[in-house]
Amino acid sequence: MAPQRRLSTPTSDSPAVQPLLRVRDLSVSYGGHQVVDRVSFDLPRGHSLALIGESGSGKSTIARSVLRLLPAGVGRATGTVELQGQDVLALPERHFRPLRGRTIGFVPQDPSSSLNPVRTIGSQAREASALLRDEAGHELDGAAQRQAVVDVLARVGLDDPERVLASYPHQLSGGMLQRVLIGLAVLPQPALIVADEPTSALDVTIQKRILDLLSELRDSLDISMLLITHDLAIAAERADSVVVLKGGTVQESGPTSQVSTAPTSAYAQRLHDDVPALNPDRYADLRAVGEARRADPASAPKIEVRGVTKRFSVHGQELTAVDDLSFAVPAGTTHAIVGESGSGKTTTIRLLLGLETPDSGEIVVAGERVDGRSHAELRSVRRHLQFVYQNPFTSLDPTWKVERLVREPLDRFRVGDKAGRREAVREALDAVGLDHALLARRPDALSGGQRQRVAIARALVLRPDVIVLDEPTSALDVSVQADIVQVLLRLQAELGLTYVFVSHDLALVRQLAHTVSVVRRGRVVEDGTVERIFDAPREDYTRTLLASIPDAGAARRPALAEQAS
Amino acid sequence: MGVTRQPRRAPRPYLTYAVQRVVQAVVVVLLAYCFTFLVISVLPGDPVTATLRNPQNNFTEEEVQRIVAYYGLDRPVWVQLWEALSRFVQGDLGVSLRSNLPVSTLIGDVLGSTVVLAVSALVVALALAFGIAYGTRNAPAPVAKALRAFPSLFLSVPNFVIGLLLINVFAFNLGLFQVIDSEGPAATFFAAIALGIPVSAQVAEVLIANLDHEARQDYAGFATSRGLSRSRLFWRHLLKPSSLPVVTVIALTVGELLGGALITETIFGRTGIGSLVQRSVTTQDLPVLQAVVVLAAVVFVVVNLVVDLVYPLLDPRVDLRGAARAPRTAAEQPLETTQGASA
Repeated sequence: MAPQRRLSTPTSDSPAVQPLLRVRDLSVSYGGHQVVDRVSFDLPRGHSLALIGESGSGKSTIARSVLRLLPAGVGRATGTVELQGQDVLALPERHFRPLRGRTIGFVPQDPSSSLNPVRTIGSQAREASALLRDEAGHELDGAAQRQAVVDVLARVGLDDPERVLASYPHQLSGGMLQRVLIGLAVLPQPALIVADEPTSALDVTIQKRILDLLSELRDSLDISMLLITHDLAIAAERADSVVVLKGGTVQESGPTSQVSTAPTSAYAQRLHDDVPALNPDRYADLRAVGEARRADPASAPKIEVRGVTKRFSVHGQELTAVDDLSFAVPAGTTHAIVGESGSGKTTTIRLLLGLETPDSGEIVVAGERVDGRSHAELRSVRRHLQFVYQNPFTSLDPTWKVERLVREPLDRFRVGDKAGRREAVREALDAVGLDHALLARRPDALSGGQRQRVAIARALVLRPDVIVLDEPTSALDVSVQADIVQVLLRLQAELGLTYVFVSHDLALVRQLAHTVSVVRRGRVVEDGTVERIFDAPREDYTRTLLASIPDAGAARRPALAEQAS
Repeated sequence: MGVTRQPRRAPRPYLTYAVQRVVQAVVVVLLAYCFTFLVISVLPGDPVTATLRNPQNNFTEEEVQRIVAYYGLDRPVWVQLWEALSRFVQGDLGVSLRSNLPVSTLIGDVLGSTVVLAVSALVVALALAFGIAYGTRNAPAPVAKALRAFPSLFLSVPNFVIGLLLINVFAFNLGLFQVIDSEGPAATFFAAIALGIPVSAQVAEVLIANLDHEARQDYAGFATSRGLSRSRLFWRHLLKPSSLPVVTVIALTVGELLGGALITETIFGRTGIGSLVQRSVTTQDLPVLQAVVVLAAVVFVVVNLVVDLVYPLLDPRVDLRGAARAPRTAAEQPLETTQGASA
């Protein structure tokens, strides 16, 4: 464990200025299990501080302690959390409640579940507007409250506030809902906003817009921010100072510029190395193997998709999910399909796997047509074409042991005898770097990274040529993601596998892919090599996507320098 | 990313949905009638003729012929079914074999009493359930904890025990009601309590579980962070989503209310469907029994129909355009429920 360190920002050193939020030796336990251990930090007025960590680091628990939203009766917090000099933990609820909303606001993680699903946005907005007071300290009248709500929704970039107010949460998109949540949080003009992963449930371009909105509101309304994130790149871009957490303890803390460029603790260093946005060339060696194959003029394409169109009929309306899609993937390389939700990524995968039949166009994998074949005929193609799902927490049958999970494709295709299958399963586990001791475990007893390795081993066991990867790391922590990417690239270099890598994470695509198709609303906006797309994008949409990669270089150093002077 | 705009409650999908549901309900009732008819007709020995030919009953041959012709017992089963069905559709439920009175008259005489009992029991059950559930969230911790034990306690005591206790304490000891005047308001009230307590347990159990579930949702935390008090959180946020599943549970407890009514009526000495069923079973009065079974089916179907029709209006998330996604309720298994209710 790295030594505990107090965050020393210039303001907190002078005793005359009291920090807005002062956390000292905060420890939190859930039913005897300690999840936060003596954490201390200061958040000066007007600053933003990021708590960074992976799942289980205790970052959200700290946020909930500060907000006093720990589950009643289960969570126990000790230490002090001083908000404007008042110890929040020691206050009885009836004294803390007036601070809720007015002094300390909250922007939750998942916009789709953070509003009451059976009440209109308007009726919930009224609760926030009821906190508003005029100069004399009286509650505003109905019309003034409504106007304030409409104003704040317009302020957070919602075009038609009246329509938003009349809607139920399920009728709005995630980005719009997150704007509503932010609007409701800033409406009573709190001094501090706690934002718990405010963008992790959103598309990348929306992510950037929401973060921009938060930064802008913070500056214009003079609100301080406690930002909880797993993404060091986002923290580097948005926060003045950071606290790096692991297993409930502080690993390192300090000004963002220092922690993000020259981390001193081993963990922060590792975290720094694992963030794709900060290390675009991390896997340059492994990637170069595929790059050579791509550049080889003799190489034939392993996958060819030509003019594929797929339409669906939804409630009598024709919807073109994939529109004249074409791309070719040289053998032994990685082709990335990049797009946001609704771009047709999922349909593309289903078409590639032969789960959907295209309305027109053709798909050729390893010289065999995939489209227009019967289920039985597809079996032979499938042996060469495997799939790794997005979420390893739901894609593995929880009642099966690892051995059976990995062996199943062999059983289904009746490959080899019993001993041969046993051997093949163990080879596949070796290939993904899993210990044989895990063979007798069920998915519940595995970590997220181990599960995704099992899923990859399962895809590998048939010795396919092509693996389709559907955001294989998006459900995983960044350090686990780095391990999985490493495994994938090593396998490609060694076995000459061809990958179709579907993702919305451009920084990750930059690290591992060779060619890219940028898709939007079912159409290819732009395609080319990774270098060409990233260095010289031709289309505005590609530029928007690229701009959404957090720019760690833009850490708020000027603001910090200002504070110091 | 645009808004997925849809009219808030488009009238047309709702109308289509409502018509579909009503037609389904009518079909279920007719099927229930056919089912009971066939079950009775395949039973060995024809009870109608057996009764008529029983020398003790003193029917003349002419009368026997008239009744046999009325029921069409001399014709094939499917003709009988068709005729019975057409009589049923016209509201003719047949004639009791014992009293020679129309079945509809017999049922009409006792239906009111049972309906009053069942409805008051439902009111008692809902009030109790709500009180318990409210207490678990808003009372001081020890009380709230104790209240959580009530549903299982209520469920584990059979309602005849509760009924006997109530009679003992409130009628015999305190004299608050007369056992003789079994249809009076006070007696009805206590009978409703006896019948309502076990039902309240089921409703309270579901309500408490849902309140707990909703209180753990992100939106409850977000609402708390905006400065809402506990009681405002309860009334404005938790109650409605927690009550939606309760609506379905109420539909399911109708069986409990009907079955329980038969027992409660016996204990409190009330004349109702319960006593009618009891008499008809012992005397093998099949037309009456069949009518009661069909009545139970009608009650079930109607209650579930009401739930199905009301649910989309309460829950804005229900999408009626995909008919398959309509809420599932007990009406989906018509035969099972009618059998359950007649047992």
